[in-house]
Amino acid sequence: MDLKSSIDTSASGLKAQSLRMRIIAENIANADSVGRTPGGDPYRRKVATFESEIDRASGATRVKVAGVENDQSAFTRMYKPGSPAADARGYVLTPNVNRLVETADMRAAQRSYEANLNAIEAARGLAGRTIDLLK
Amino acid sequence: MAIGPVGGALAGLSAYQRAAGVGRPRETGPAGVPATDFAQHLGRLVTDTSGALKSAEAASARQVAGKGDLIDVVTAIGAAETALDTMVAVRDRVIGAYSEIMRMQI
Repeated sequence: MDLKSSIDTSASGLKAQSLRMRIIAENIANADSVGRTPGGDPYRRKVATFESEIDRASGATRVKVAGVENDQSAFTRMYKPGSPAADARGYVLTPNVNRLVETADMRAAQRSYEANLNAIEAARGLAGRTIDLLK
Repeated sequence: MAIGPVGGALAGLSAYQRAAGVGRPRETGPAGVPATDFAQHLGRLVTDTSGALKSAEAASARQVAGKGDLIDVVTAIGAAETALDTMVAVRDRVIGAYSEIMRMQI
């Protein structure tokens, strides 16, 4: 039934967005994680990428997570001579995480998740009303 | 799952069909496809529903054990609910038809 496969497709969207949400949470949580050794690399920002995938059984195009890539942009440097991760000149490399960007991304993930939830609700409502025709 | 009333109604229905001489499962339809009788369709519906309920239950059990995915649980329970609703609606129709036949003046 197409309504069922539309619910399954929306569920794949929910899964993808919840993974994206997890990656954003990791980025925000690790926004202050510095390297272990003096001058060592800190936490590198991660980005989830999605791709479409055709489900052979139903013919529906679902979404799946293509992978989690590292953001290759440069780390920021802060002068913190007291830190154990500071290099010889007192600079510490800090993660390339911008909290403002993460917050905007989080909003996008949230809205996308909600859109998929609404699609599920609509499909389920239609299926229910169709069954109601029998009653 | 209690499917006694449906089974009873089906038994009644097929008895009626046998008595009326219309239950010919081997008959082929207009397109040459083997025609299955209504009881078989209904039986398949019940089996499908029972399968959907079982998978919903398995998904819930996994979730309670902390190994499942909430989204899987929600979709499995939703599918089971739709299947059960369909089956109940069809059952009500069948029982309605059965009582209609029973009330028939001979």
